Amino acid sequence: MTDTKDTQTSGLGFMGQRVQRVEDDRLLVGKGEFVADVLPEGVLHAAFLRSPFPHATINSINVTAAARLPGVHKVFTGAELNAITNPFLPMFMADGVYTPLYKCMSDEKVRHVGDLVALVVAESRYVAEDALELIEIDYTELTPVGTIDQALEPNREQLWEKADGNVLGNLSDSFGPVDQVFSRADHVITRTFECPRQTNQPMETRGTVVKVDKATGHLEIHNTSQAPHALKWALAAMLTDEGGIKNFGKFVRNADRRQAFTAAAKDFLSKNKESLKAQDNAGQVSQLKKDKSLLKHQGKMAMGLLASTDYPTVKAGDIGGAFGSKGPITREDVAVAAAAKKLGKSVQWIEDRVENLMDGGQAREEQFTISMAVDSDGTLRGMKVDFVLDQGAYPGFPISSLIIPLLWKLYMPGPYNIEAFELNGQIVATNKGRVVPYRGPWANETWLRERMLDVVARELNITPADLRAKNVMREGSMPDAFITGPTIDETMSVAKTFDRALEMIDFDQLEEDKAAAEAKGHRLGLGIASYHEAAPGPPNFFSSAQPGSDMLLSEDGRAEIQADGRIVMYTSQSPHGQSHETTYKQVAADEFGVPLEDVEIVWGDTDRTQFSFLGTGGSRGGPLGAGVMRMTARELRRQVTDVAADMLEAASSDIEIIDGNIHVAGVPAKGITYADVAAKVATDKRTTSGPVFTEQMQYDGVGNGGWSVATHVAWVDIDLETGLVEIPRYLVVEDCGPIINPGVVDGQIRGGVAQGVGAVFYERHHYDEQANLLSTTYMDYLVPTAMEIPHIDIEHMETLTDGENDARGTGEGGMIGAPAALTNAVSDALGVEVYEQYLPPYRILELAGVIDR
Amino acid sequence: MSLPSVNAPIGQTLPISVTINETAHSLDIEPRRSLADVIREDVGLTGTHLGCEHGVCGACTILVDGEPSRACLMLGVHADGAEITTIEGLAEPDGTKHPIQEAMKQAMSFQCAFCSPGFLMSTVALLRDNPNPTEAEIREELSGNLCRCTGYTSIVEGVETAVTLLGSSALGSTGDQATGGVA
Ligand code: FES
Ligand code: FES
Repeated sequence: MTDTKDTQTSGLGFMGQRVQRVEDDRLLVGKGEFVADVLPEGVLHAAFLRSPFPHATINSINVTAAARLPGVHKVFTGAELNAITNPFLPMFMADGVYTPLYKCMSDEKVRHVGDLVALVVAESRYVAEDALELIEIDYTELTPVGTIDQALEPNREQLWEKADGNVLGNLSDSFGPVDQVFSRADHVITRTFECPRQTNQPMETRGTVVKVDKATGHLEIHNTSQAPHALKWALAAMLTDEGGIKNFGKFVRNADRRQAFTAAAKDFLSKNKESLKAQDNAGQVSQLKKDKSLLKHQGKMAMGLLASTDYPTVKAGDIGGAFGSKGPITREDVAVAAAAKKLGKSVQWIEDRVENLMDGGQAREEQFTISMAVDSDGTLRGMKVDFVLDQGAYPGFPISSLIIPLLWKLYMPGPYNIEAFELNGQIVATNKGRVVPYRGPWANETWLRERMLDVVARELNITPADLRAKNVMREGSMPDAFITGPTIDETMSVAKTFDRALEMIDFDQLEEDKAAAEAKGHRLGLGIASYHEAAPGPPNFFSSAQPGSDMLLSEDGRAEIQADGRIVMYTSQSPHGQSHETTYKQVAADEFGVPLEDVEIVWGDTDRTQFSFLGTGGSRGGPLGAGVMRMTARELRRQVTDVAADMLEAASSDIEIIDGNIHVAGVPAKGITYADVAAKVATDKRTTSGPVFTEQMQYDGVGNGGWSVATHVAWVDIDLETGLVEIPRYLVVEDCGPIINPGVVDGQIRGGVAQGVGAVFYERHHYDEQANLLSTTYMDYLVPTAMEIPHIDIEHMETLTDGENDARGTGEGGMIGAPAALTNAVSDALGVEVYEQYLPPYRILELAGVIDR
Repeated sequence: MSLPSVNAPIGQTLPISVTINETAHSLDIEPRRSLADVIREDVGLTGTHLGCEHGVCGACTILVDGEPSRACLMLGVHADGAEITTIEGLAEPDGTKHPIQEAMKQAMSFQCAFCSPGFLMSTVALLRDNPNPTEAEIREELSGNLCRCTGYTSIVEGVETAVTLLGSSALGSTGDQATGGVA
């Protein structure tokens, strides 16, 4: 193992420091630029008419009165916008799964409360909303599908006519000798668990501002997107409105485009040879069995992309949080862009909070039946899980909720030695809002497993801590890979965090505290949960989920030194609270040996940054985004050093750079600057502006990629009179490798735990059995306040590897561990098993036997 | 504060005079426009944010005649004659941050910071009325502001840092002075 400090070259050592955020210099004085702040001269405002019914057919729509309202520029019916846009296609398919195609608006049938029916563009949002009230629609209501059980009824009304009932996917996989393990184990313990719907709820809602260049028709789109490049390409494809053949002709006649395409295609094929070879077409076969139109639409959009010479520019400025919800490309993004393009005028759409609660992103409504095979001495042998996932009405794009069970498949057995694992389940459609990734989208595997471990421990009459200690993978006896495929290295250090957590619990004190609580009519309990997450994970992580699915995952980086010596680093990440600007400056400044202010970080503008399919997501900003910063910076520094060595008449190996002073080691007084070196190169190249050094590269992470791991411990104090729960202590022992900025890492962990506290005690996105949404305001959906979130103790363990950029992601973990630790603590406090994730006061009192169910 | 009729027909405007961050504005506004929209769109001060537009999240908090108020729940016409302070009014004209802004930066209080204008304005009022709050008082006073990113601890620490900065600044730590003259 190497101490990463060795690889730092600046002499300034920003890495690992609690550097205050440069973002705050604009954000804290009201000078940020969020999407709602983008108000170009003459911009029009859009508002959507949304369905009040969960499930209905549209018989007729009359917009005459609305269109006549003064100030209204245009009322678009769903059919009008659908006629000028292409559908959302499945991009990620799997055997046994059908993904319905859909358009940006609903013109025949609505499938959830809040479904998009018409779009008004007017001079102000006030007028646009007035116009919505004048639109007349005649609906015929259909039987809604409001629950998972209803979705599984064989003769229920279908959301999607080509599906099998309301089941969109059947998935099943197994690892190891499942039958043998289950027949031989001393005990098989089976339980059923359920998690209700949650929603991400960033404080800033979604929004898009489409600026139309009057002269060229070019679209510049300001959007709250976690993945601006994906949005750009999706919009380019979905707004293509000419027929395939005509577009193909255009492409053939354009020699430059043709050559550029051929070169890009060759490059792509050679870079992804292995992944492409590994892909089977079972997913596509499953899809085409249900709906062949995929091919036709793919062809048309591909031709449109080839023929087009002008793709939209997407810009993501400051973004007010997302937690996964702003990664997917949404129907509103497409509809507003199509409307602006059609009108030739700039249009702003800002989602309101009620809309955000209806369809801004929902998550985690899942049911599980889990069986654990275990021996009497507590040795875990095998695990079988059946699941049903409620994906809502419209599949997420470009990645649907299919990704969740694929990740469950890899993660569910957890950091424990186990011989066999089987996962079977179904994805169902219901008349509810869209499921999106929500901070650790797969997190319920940890909740399920860790809750079940406590159940098993109690059945076997051993402590939850002892059961975990007996089965957790430990250094020395660790297998090379999980039975589900992904390889394991020293970063899979769950046991270290677990052992440390146990050291930090005073079990004697706990018994005293429990007694004291009981004396005042309270109950106190403690819960433990451990997990590992791929952040970024080993190279075979995604291919273990589905062969060939590891394409498009590496991170591209680019760096420049301008003729005047300015250092400019480009990232394809799209920050929305993670402090990328600060941490990337730390990493790059260390490499270059300059102060933070000498490095400029550029993000969010698709004209300036390099392509990325994912943008910011998947806890990749530290390992991959910062990694490619480091590597490109290092290469540029090497180039600068060579030139400086010439200028200083020394060997490159003798050059040192400290605080921007480039000098021969030991003689800083005779140093030169980046500006001097850049000026020299500029003179040699006979140029005065633009970049004089550039570097681009692709980066897949170091070595084995690495796991981010943690053990959470929650203490809860329950008031049996009110059912209110306090959290007197919460401890996270985590290992994300070397920390770039502890202030940022701690913030990510605390924020994640806070959302876990919300999920367990306060937040439920409540649809009734008829699929009517009941939590449509913040009076009904309770985001926790400073009164509810406890102080969170964080203990860092920094397992280092030989890698150069060894940082592992930490954005999602807080939310992965917290629901498990908290529900385990409640169970311990009340002495009853807990099989659901949402425990509001009335439910606590029911579980405690204080009130009847 | 006089309350003009808000029943004027759509499209008709009413004149108001309002002082925002010590600058006087005479505006003609539609009576139904929210104060938040007036400040953001008509005056162009977009630092005040809208998180919920129904009075719960606190992102739109501003000071109206010194009192923290939700700009999404007020109509622009209700601000006729009022003195308003927004986030843009906290820093010195030369850009020097207000001690509370500086403290929140030092404490690394925020992440996306979409919620920050509301927290900062609430904190100005909190520390003016109670220059030395306990942690429990801080949490209680700020419970009308939602933050989805931070889990609040860093914000509470920011307020505590602000107490120190204000206490050690030349402004002293009492009354109006504690806010650097704001409100
Ligand atoms: S926007 Fe005013 S309280 Fe939320
Ligand atoms: S910092 Fe993002 S909502 Fe508070």
